[in-house]
Amino acid sequence: MSAIALRNVRKAYHGGPTVLHDLSMAIEAGEFIVIVGPSGCGKSTLLRLIAGLERADGGDIEIGGTRANDLPPQDRDIAMIFQNYALYPHMSVRENIAFGLELRGVPKRERNARAESVAGMLQLDPYLERKPGALSGGQRQRVAMGRAMARKSSIFLMDEPLSNLDNALRIAMRTEVKELHRQLGATMVYVTHDQTEALSLADRIAVMKDGHLLQFDTPEAIYDRPAHRFVAGFLGVPPMNFLSAKAVPGYSGPEGLTIGLRPEHLSIHAGEPAANGLGVRLLLSEMTGATVILHCESAAGRITLNCARKDMPQGSDALWVNLELSHALYFDEDGKRVELS
Amino acid sequence: MKLRQNATTALALVAGLLFLSPVLYSIWMSFQTAQSYYRGGFEFSLGNYGTAVTKFNFARYLVNSIIVSGMVTLVGLAVSTTAAFAFARFDFKGRDLLFGITVATLMIPSHITLIPNYLTLARVGLLDTYAGLILPAISNGFAAFFLRQYIRGIPRALDEAAYMDGARPLQVLWRVIVPISRPAIFSMGLYIFLGEWNNYIWPLVAVGKEDLYTLQLGLARLYSVNPGEGLIDWPLVMAASTITILPVLFGFFLVERHLVRGITMGAVK
Ligand SMILES: Nc1ncnc2c1ncn2[C@@H]1O[C@H](COP(=O)(O)OP(=O)(O)O)[C@@H](O)[C@H]1O
Ligand SMILES: [Mg+2]
Repeated sequence: MSAIALRNVRKAYHGGPTVLHDLSMAIEAGEFIVIVGPSGCGKSTLLRLIAGLERADGGDIEIGGTRANDLPPQDRDIAMIFQNYALYPHMSVRENIAFGLELRGVPKRERNARAESVAGMLQLDPYLERKPGALSGGQRQRVAMGRAMARKSSIFLMDEPLSNLDNALRIAMRTEVKELHRQLGATMVYVTHDQTEALSLADRIAVMKDGHLLQFDTPEAIYDRPAHRFVAGFLGVPPMNFLSAKAVPGYSGPEGLTIGLRPEHLSIHAGEPAANGLGVRLLLSEMTGATVILHCESAAGRITLNCARKDMPQGSDALWVNLELSHALYFDEDGKRVELS
Repeated sequence: MKLRQNATTALALVAGLLFLSPVLYSIWMSFQTAQSYYRGGFEFSLGNYGTAVTKFNFARYLVNSIIVSGMVTLVGLAVSTTAAFAFARFDFKGRDLLFGITVATLMIPSHITLIPNYLTLARVGLLDTYAGLILPAISNGFAAFFLRQYIRGIPRALDEAAYMDGARPLQVLWRVIVPISRPAIFSMGLYIFLGEWNNYIWPLVAVGKEDLYTLQLGLARLYSVNPGEGLIDWPLVMAASTITILPVLFGFFLVERHLVRGITMGAVK
């Protein structure tokens, strides 16, 4: 039995265009699932369908093994963290955290104890009596997490919970979210458009585009064996390079394919190209610290790769890139990955 | 700069006094006797208040007014807040039509509904009762409209957070929407209360029994009380008027601090 199961779920807002097409996925209890995809691809819609805040126009949504399509959100016992936190502005941090318990008739003493222990875990103890208006963005974010944690739901939904934080705080909170998942053991469905968050947090990643689920697999599988050119390009920084196969030296497969190669499978060299070397022209280099990101142009298309600073080719010699074709992925004209035997 | 500020303050003071002067004058007038008023002197006396309360039953009218205006305000707010919540947050068949009709009622002058309301209440036997005074006033299209607009300005994510926390719709209304809308609800309450407090026509039509009179009916009756020689006892009228406005002023100071305050701050980013 899956914690959450979606079967051919379809959604269109008010008879408008379909924003989710026959989406199916099964999420197991205790999994950390990350849903990624570009803005507008239907991630929030999917999450809101699971939460019960929107109704599906087709298909089945099962929670804990029972059909939940017609269950209102208050009966699903799911905790949700909203992108803008949605804290109750007229309640203190303590009341915000304890509100869900109060609605369930938990006695005041127990509510308070629970709110305090949650606040302790999130280092919110000094702010228990403050209103959300008097908190910083990071503190508000913690209150939103605390509110979700207090009820000990078995399912947590998070819609880009860190996207309003500055970079340093976001990275710190990312670790905390992961730690939280380990401690609570709850099923978590986490929406983001940030591929780094996806790779670092997920047990499994669901990649979406235009209302379609393109691939749902472990981060390693998504990274190493993307099912679709879009998936390949969406995860990984710098993104995968796509080269037109016929212009790649040493390629002898069928016509019309695109070769995908990640930057780590390329290296740049000066001088005359070796066999399978692809001549390039350097357009731009970006210093990132120990490595430099190089943007080059070649007969097969644009190429981006990393280069350790000490290995940077010197002088104005002709440059070429070595392609480790054993790591190459092949995509057909529709973007589907194909295996070359 | 400093000069301009002083000038502004002075101007505001003068304007304030100008608006206040009729009230101050009538309060001042209420403390003299009719004789001295008509003779042109000033003779301090609390007698008018005594007369208003003992001879003309103004204490009773005051209680009636408080009951009627209070109930109209409380029940009216409950009805219009609930309606506003439904209009603002729920999708149901015919919602927009219903809302349109609600708004359209604003364009109907109250005099047009006077007779139908009278006939309805006569038929159900509610004339000459508190209910007859209160019921017709509790549906208030303007309050429903105004509060709906306010509630629409509250991020829907707050409702959704409450639903996720396990709240039922009425709990969302009472625990989230109402506290956040407090400034609007208090403002609307004050508006309804004042309107009802000053209502004259409907009590006149709906009530014949003297012990259901509101202050406005009582006041009107005073105009026919002569101190002699066909004159109106203005100081007595002013004393009764003061009795009429003081509770309102007092009430205003009580709710004033709730009226305008942005407390949605910090809800969403
Ligand atoms: N309440 C709504 N009414 C109509 N269209 C909506 C509504 N919410 C989202 N959409 C549309 O549905 C699509 C998916 O939106 P959303 O799920 O918010 O995407 P994401 O979270 O991936 O950015 C978008 O095209 C958006 O315009
Ligand atoms: Mg979204």
